[in-house]
Amino acid sequence: MKYFVTVNGNTLEVSVVERLGRLRVTLGGQPLDFSYEEADQLGQVVLFSEGRSYGVSIEGGDTEVDVKLAGYLYDIQLEDERERAAHAAERAATGGGGPVKSVMPGVVVSLCVEEGQTVEAGQPLLILEAMKMQNEIDAPQAGIVKAVHIVEGQAVAAGEKLLTLAAEPD
Amino acid sequence: MFTRILIANRGEIALRIIRTAREMGVECVSIYSRADQSSLHTRMAHVAVPLGDGPPATTYLDMDKVIAAAQETGAQAIHPGYGFLAENAEFARRVSAAGLAWIGPPPQAIEAMGDKITSRQAMERAGVPIVPGTEEPLEGPEEAAVIAERIGYPIALKASAGGGGKGIRVVERVADLDGAFRTASGEALGAFGDGRLYVEKYLGHARHIEIQVLFDSQGNGVHLGERECSIQRRHQKLVEECPSVVIDDDLRARMGEVALRAGSSVNYAGAGTVEFLFEDGDFYFLEMNTRLQVEHPVTEMVTGVDLVREQLRVAAGEPLGFTQADLKFNGHAIEVRINAEDPAHGFLPSTGRLSNLRLPSGPWVRLDSAMYRGLEVGTTYDPMLAKVIVWGPDRERAIARMERALEELNVGGVRTGAPAALAVLRSAGFRAGDFDTHYLENLDLHAPAEWEGLAAAAAAVFRHKRAHRRALATTSANRDPWLARSRREWSDHARRTARREMPDA
Repeated sequence: MKYFVTVNGNTLEVSVVERLGRLRVTLGGQPLDFSYEEADQLGQVVLFSEGRSYGVSIEGGDTEVDVKLAGYLYDIQLEDERERAAHAAERAATGGGGPVKSVMPGVVVSLCVEEGQTVEAGQPLLILEAMKMQNEIDAPQAGIVKAVHIVEGQAVAAGEKLLTLAAEPD
Repeated sequence: MFTRILIANRGEIALRIIRTAREMGVECVSIYSRADQSSLHTRMAHVAVPLGDGPPATTYLDMDKVIAAAQETGAQAIHPGYGFLAENAEFARRVSAAGLAWIGPPPQAIEAMGDKITSRQAMERAGVPIVPGTEEPLEGPEEAAVIAERIGYPIALKASAGGGGKGIRVVERVADLDGAFRTASGEALGAFGDGRLYVEKYLGHARHIEIQVLFDSQGNGVHLGERECSIQRRHQKLVEECPSVVIDDDLRARMGEVALRAGSSVNYAGAGTVEFLFEDGDFYFLEMNTRLQVEHPVTEMVTGVDLVREQLRVAAGEPLGFTQADLKFNGHAIEVRINAEDPAHGFLPSTGRLSNLRLPSGPWVRLDSAMYRGLEVGTTYDPMLAKVIVWGPDRERAIARMERALEELNVGGVRTGAPAALAVLRSAGFRAGDFDTHYLENLDLHAPAEWEGLAAAAAAVFRHKRAHRRALATTSANRDPWLARSRREWSDHARRTARREMPDA
């Protein structure tokens, strides 16, 4: 199976094939000297690669994975070929816009924009309170507010859609 | 000395206090909310008193319940830790009125320092240097604009009743003043029940340096040197060290003398911290924290003084028994706070259930932690889970030791700020001692490119194995009627296991 793996803003192609219990991994088309042993059921994994051993921790789901290695966190997004095609189609349809999701659980204190409004990149969209801090959630890009999915006073979970932006037509 | 005390707190600080108390032969009473019933401070105490279900307001902040818990269990004194009721003068008064000793400064000292505006006025009278700005609460954004014009932008809007970085906004230009005033005031109102703000000149490249002081109730006071706390995110400290590279013996003595003057002017007793902004060799009083600080361990590591022990002794009426000349500063200590937060997304809170813990240890590594596998990290309480503290004979070796300790640390289930701290420790500016309170904002927090490929391969194999497990779990149940029953049992088990591993399933 081939995966498109995004880490630190770079997308790498990784293929994983398991044949008779043996793992073959290629990175960018090149075979990788790599072994992967689960140390427990919680996510501790021992990697061996190019003569070195790494005690890492891996958690997440199919598309979002956290790999913790030597004190660092690699925040990783994964797509297989089908998902990659679907995401590309979705991006084309929304004209480069997309949902603005909550990155943390909190309560919407106030909404600063309404549907149909044009916003600039960095413009505050709403104020989210979490752990007694009020956090301004800013527009990641310029565009038009296509939909508002929340109301003032609403509690939201991490990952919940707050607004959908569409790119501004030229 | 007391034979039993109540600790009106939770988390790592409750454990910190329990540890010293046990060493002194003093028994400890913990209080806990329903959510904390299996927490470590509940388990490590001699007696644990439940305060019921509910938010902090009806548990840890409920003065009646806390005092009743102390009386029912025969505790003679209450230690408030930090946060919660630690800087609440009314609580301190009620503790004393109930015939219990208060392990903290006198209520009048808490009051004098608790309001940032009255404390500024008091410090000005005592001849302590302060940052230019207002002392009176502002009427509104218009008044802020007038004062900002006089002292010059950028300015900082701050909550009169504030602390912990809440209700603070930096304003660069007049156009942003209205919005900043509104959010800061709203935040202050929500956090402290008081939306009043004051304005100060914002120092552009200041360091945050604070002095630890200790007074007994006979009026003797000593300072225990400085803590460098400039590495901050969202106005909250992340990395602290002692000593600071910019403070020499002469400056330390001068700042110590000013800090002691600040404490004496309010008849302070117990442990306290005088915070200063330091810029270009000048220092300005910021505030005095009338409690034990989160970062007190770095002072303990360098001075050998157990600050909690001293707090208990002072509260029991004992004199300090040592003088400034008896205090020696030895080596270098660094602390890193382990908060449940996401450095990749502006240090916003991260929640989840702790799993997969690997804790640092070894020579000269101290871990003050409330973490255990299964701990639910929500948004009800402070996101600080633990502190890693190291000591070394010099700064370079302390940094190397902290790097090693953070490499060992793994916290699963939530994201933490530890990788950002590691990036700080490895940055050229930090190593050279050349940084201010904005240092972290401008630092590249990406994990090193060196291991990107390895991490990508590991993530792909992780997904591959998940898919493989899922395929096994679903098809095996239906295949062979003879084996269907045992298969189903196995598959149920597999699904349960899978669900544990995949919180999104």
